[in-house]
Amino acid sequence: MVRELSRSRLIWDALILGLIVVSCLLVAYQFAFAQAHALEGFQVVYLIDLFFLIDIGLNFVTTYRERGVEVFDKRQCSGRYCRRMLVVDVVAAVPFDLIAWALIGNGHVLGGSLVLALRLLRLFRIVRLFVILRRWEALSWSNPAVLRVAKYFVSILLLIHWLACFWFYSSLASGFPADSWVVRAGIQGADAISQYIRSLYWTITTMTTVGYGDITPGRTIEYVLAGIIMLMGASLYAFIIGSIASLLNSINAAKNRHWERIESVTEFLRDQKVSADLNSEVRNFYEHIWERYRGVDRNRMLDDLPPPLRLKVLLHLTEEIRQTVPLFRHASSLLRDALLTSLESRTYTPGSIIAHEGDRGKSVFFIAEGTVEIISAADNKSYGTMSNGDYFGFMSLTLDERRTASIKAVGYCEMLVLDRADFGRIKEEFPEFSDVLKQVSAERSEQLSGLVMDGIIL
Amino acid sequence: MEIKTTETGDINVIEVAGHLDTNTSPDAESAINTLIDAGAQKVLINFAALEYISSAGLRVLLATAKKLKASGGDLKICSLNDTVQEVFDISGFSSILTVSNDQDEALASF
Repeated sequence: MVRELSRSRLIWDALILGLIVVSCLLVAYQFAFAQAHALEGFQVVYLIDLFFLIDIGLNFVTTYRERGVEVFDKRQCSGRYCRRMLVVDVVAAVPFDLIAWALIGNGHVLGGSLVLALRLLRLFRIVRLFVILRRWEALSWSNPAVLRVAKYFVSILLLIHWLACFWFYSSLASGFPADSWVVRAGIQGADAISQYIRSLYWTITTMTTVGYGDITPGRTIEYVLAGIIMLMGASLYAFIIGSIASLLNSINAAKNRHWERIESVTEFLRDQKVSADLNSEVRNFYEHIWERYRGVDRNRMLDDLPPPLRLKVLLHLTEEIRQTVPLFRHASSLLRDALLTSLESRTYTPGSIIAHEGDRGKSVFFIAEGTVEIISAADNKSYGTMSNGDYFGFMSLTLDERRTASIKAVGYCEMLVLDRADFGRIKEEFPEFSDVLKQVSAERSEQLSGLVMDGIIL
Repeated sequence: MEIKTTETGDINVIEVAGHLDTNTSPDAESAINTLIDAGAQKVLINFAALEYISSAGLRVLLATAKKLKASGGDLKICSLNDTVQEVFDISGFSSILTVSNDQDEALASF
């Protein structure tokens, strides 16, 4: 079986996407401008057909996702493909023109040939383009907004191309009468490329509602066609402008929302006559939150997730701290998971006091990122710093004594906090917790006893 | 807090009962210092009846251990209850000081 989001399938899909665009452009162009009734000049299209036939074969054995689970069963995969896409794919991929040519030769129809008309069936390949892009939306690294832009862009490009081809074909099918636009524009005898450029130019000026008026319809059928194209152009124009505006908004939606929040907060603070310094401190905090968490409230996001998924995300988010904090290194995976799910994440701004001197310990703090300084107001002295992976708070909590020094954030500090209730609960649930604590304290005994001798309780 | 001092051979056994906190630690410290000043080298502190120890109590123990070590003596501690044991574990003191389960074991370890 071929996995729908495997690397090889992605590469193949990207190739097919390219070929869809090429064949949709080439087939319509050859139909209108290079009226070769015979098969010469069409070899490229037949070569491309081969890829689409192989693609049908691959689609039979490609997995799909149902309610988040990838289905590998061959019968189910091919059954689903048969029901949903097989008919369209077969119509778009099988060279029916070749079959018709072999059976009946060039049957004439509508001033062109049946063989050429059958070639147009390949335009149905555009359906597969949407199927592939929808599948890519499931990729974690893909940006749905960008994929939507790509979808619109390719669809509009192809639509304009097809309309340009059809606009020229309207004259060609009637054998270029004197009042047809091609003859009046004087390009009847011009080479195919010039004819195509003029048709494309007219289609674009009409669809974008520019309408210079240098090329105008002359016959009833042309007026009808021009009317339809104008209507399509006007609605498409409105649709494109609206879509692009909403897309640009949605690409940066999170950032815009965050900045709106900053603006409203700082404006509120200005109204309340809060000093400029404090206001800019608040602003800096929000900017830091954006840099660090992309505006997502980590605690709230984790609360939203079901417990097993929350743990998986937490294990990833705390990968570094699990390596650096000895407590997590020594704990069994069960104890570690219980600790992780109880931790609350907090951000402290530079210079702010994380734990106050004189407070009774209510929490244990783990430094996930940043540096803190131990300072005592009593003797106005610094007792050193702690950084990533260090922790404090066990002494004050266990001794039930007031802290004798404050902990100050040097820069922005990301802390993980375990409160007294969770500490007690985990200690009760996991008897090994006390042994682990003993082990990690023994490793830091010199530093801890040094602080005790200095009268520092954290 | 109550302090009782006995001698077993050349080992001075100090039994501390009650709370060893900021208020009572100075008394405990002076009692221990009196012993050391009188020439005691091997000191065993029995905490069987100790209910609570604070950081001030820990400081007395560490200061005593350092003092005895400097004069070639030794400090051992025994019979901690669960609460005191936890304080010793969290503060890293159980790895700095020699702690025994009971008095006999401690006496034999000198």
